Amino acid sequence: MRTGPLLVSVALVAAGCASVTRVSGQGMDLGDVGRAVDAPVPARRTDRIGAFPPSSVAGPERASARLTRQAVIDTVHSVKGSMGTVTSALSGLAGPGTGFGRVNGVFSRHIVYASNQLPWLHGSLAGSMELVDAAVGIGEMDMELGVLQMTGPRLQAAMFGAILLTAWVDFLSLAEAMLRRCYPCSVEKLIADMNRVQHLIEPSMAALASQDSEQVEAAATAMPELMGNLTREFASIRNDVRVAMERNGQVMAAAQIVEMVTMVSAMKMSLARLPGPPAAPVTLGAALVMGSGGVMAGSRIVVSVEWVEMVRRLVQAGVLSLPAVSAAVRIHAGQVMMMEANGDLPPGVRDALGDGPEVRAMRPTGKAGAGMSEAPRHHVLPQEHRAWFEQRGFKGDMSIDRFCVRMERADHQAIHGGGNWRMGRTWPNEWSQAVMRTLRDAETSAGRMLTRNEILQRVALLMRRYEIPMKFIPGRRG
Amino acid sequence: MTERSAWEGNWPARLRERARERGYNSMTAFAETRPTASLVELAHELGQGDVAGVQVFQMLVDEAERSHQLTRLVRGTLVRELWESIPEGWPADLSVEGQDRIKVAMALGTWSAFTPVTHEERVKQASAALLTNPPPPGWLPKGPDDELLLTLLPDEEA
Repeated sequence: MRTGPLLVSVALVAAGCASVTRVSGQGMDLGDVGRAVDAPVPARRTDRIGAFPPSSVAGPERASARLTRQAVIDTVHSVKGSMGTVTSALSGLAGPGTGFGRVNGVFSRHIVYASNQLPWLHGSLAGSMELVDAAVGIGEMDMELGVLQMTGPRLQAAMFGAILLTAWVDFLSLAEAMLRRCYPCSVEKLIADMNRVQHLIEPSMAALASQDSEQVEAAATAMPELMGNLTREFASIRNDVRVAMERNGQVMAAAQIVEMVTMVSAMKMSLARLPGPPAAPVTLGAALVMGSGGVMAGSRIVVSVEWVEMVRRLVQAGVLSLPAVSAAVRIHAGQVMMMEANGDLPPGVRDALGDGPEVRAMRPTGKAGAGMSEAPRHHVLPQEHRAWFEQRGFKGDMSIDRFCVRMERADHQAIHGGGNWRMGRTWPNEWSQAVMRTLRDAETSAGRMLTRNEILQRVALLMRRYEIPMKFIPGRRG
Repeated sequence: MTERSAWEGNWPARLRERARERGYNSMTAFAETRPTASLVELAHELGQGDVAGVQVFQMLVDEAERSHQLTRLVRGTLVRELWESIPEGWPADLSVEGQDRIKVAMALGTWSAFTPVTHEERVKQASAALLTNPPPPGWLPKGPDDELLLTLLPDEEA
């Protein structure tokens, strides 16, 4: 029913938008803002070029947008792969002749819960691909990267959602095998266990399904700890099987069931690291190091060099966050128990995953860091002209609400011609007017309607003139 | 993150100071030495990350207003827009279906947006004139005293 490579695919996980949202100004929604320690960082192209591997020499700017796009596509495909495995496992579990038949649909709500996650998971992958397509041909590297960064939250949600769903399907498979093969096992206890486990999973799954960048980031970084708890639950149920069947003299059958569910489990690595009964010494895994084959734990490859390369691109381009990527590596290595779950990865591994000054700057540090994500969001494309932009293709995932930036109040006032330093009486220096006059008069001169890409290209030029960082976050319709 | 925002603090004072450090007693004097540079290029010469092109422009407007040189500034602005959008020069094919008209249109659009209210009408007419009676292919004015530009937008100010 299930095959092995789940683990490989589900670990292709990373995270997104919080890195984007936290890069610009600090400040609060209300009241005065303190002077920025972490002031808005303009998209410094030079920095970004420098951060990329030297292999991309021929037109480094073009290359980095292209490589980032490819990395997003690769990630989508890998999540799709693990979704396919989950989907076929689920249809097997929901079909006739399973162990669940024994208990008259008591467990069907658990299967339905799993199936209910599939639409939003597929939706976020499809949404990511739409953005990837939309980023093609804008002809403006920073803007293309800005659009690719928008894939962050949904890419991250899909990746971690797939991990969580895979783990849940492992529990369903275990329950099914238990019902089918283990007659001495207590159905009542299994019902209670499965309810409890689903309750463990639900809050994180809901946070991921929201696709809100902050919620997704929080769920992703807390995922190793959750996987640790799930591993313990899994081991406990598995142990029940063993004990019940051994008591019944079915030692071999017990071993088979236990073996079967463990071998295909997404929690295989973390299960192996659990203290074994009774009072066996804790299995300490080898420290993670960056080796020639990828991230290694001893002689075992945890994640491949190719995966590291893909993820590094996404981290450096601001699509995924380093904390989420680190969480994925932890989960993949099975290092989800207690202290391990929250610790930093070794420096060598972090460097390989794209850690660097620029990336570190994106990470929230304490209260000040958290405050940065509180700076008000502002529409780059003026909301009062929503219909005008809709007519030119700014709809759905590319609606003007997707093109918001965080700016401090004072900066925002300044670009709207306010602030203390107003000069010149004859030129208002006002952002919305500059955008609309540029675009409307360009249409007049062009003799036709502008395309969405043409608009984005020109807006990128204006954003650079106003030193508005090209780090987009979704905003609210207001 | 030691970088500062371009909008932080007293930016006009910062810009004046940066120009002074480079030996210019006005933004106009600084900008005139680089008549084909884009506003962003001018800004980056004055400071990476803490000076915005639009700030340079606003100071230029401010100074031109006081020295009654706005028309000259408007011509100079078009020069910068053209160098930024059609650095290969005025295109031969201006047909609506062609690839190049949009580049010219964008340059004219931004020019219009970066025009003082006093000159909006004249810029509109000049833009229309450039499209109906286009300059020779390859035309790319090198500064505000370009002959064709002077014909399009002669100084009127006293």
